[in-house]
Amino acid sequence: MDAVTYPQGKVIEFIQKHFIPLRVAFDAQPLSTDFQIKWTPSLITLDASGKEHHRTVGFLSGEELIPSLLLGIAKTHFDQDQINEALGNLEKLLADYPRSDSAPEAIYLRGVCRYKSTHKAQPLKEAYEQLQATYPSSEWAKRASPYRLL
Amino acid sequence: MENKIKWETEMKVALTRARAEKKHILLDFYNPN
Repeated sequence: MDAVTYPQGKVIEFIQKHFIPLRVAFDAQPLSTDFQIKWTPSLITLDASGKEHHRTVGFLSGEELIPSLLLGIAKTHFDQDQINEALGNLEKLLADYPRSDSAPEAIYLRGVCRYKSTHKAQPLKEAYEQLQATYPSSEWAKRASPYRLL
Repeated sequence: MENKIKWETEMKVALTRARAEKKHILLDFYNPN
């Protein structure tokens, strides 16, 4: 991460704009135990109270880190019932990084957010159909499979 | 634009800043060796 991802200008700009970056050694106590760290790098999105909402383990390129962090922001808002804010970040992720590894989960979560906003089942079915069309072997296509019946 | 990420190293400081600046926290556990 230090050699490839973190020096990139767009990564620096994104992190400084949206996050307070906090870096600690994998064995630093009590955080290492509190967050059950077993491997590095472990990248965790926390809200301002310190609660975890998203985690990745292992190297991410800049083209994968930014969408992963957008997903983390969206999941934080979703967990806090801030559906419009979650949707905004998911839309940005899917517009700017549509082929990223975070996209399938973003499609799924966008469908759930749209369902929560409208109380209509159609967005869930649309999420399933889009996942089937674009990421048929992803775990998120499988998780959305019940929505084909809606 | 900054030319490198300015990492905090203390959770307490990060939490205080996150609340004040209305931002999320990116917590990176890394191997310094």
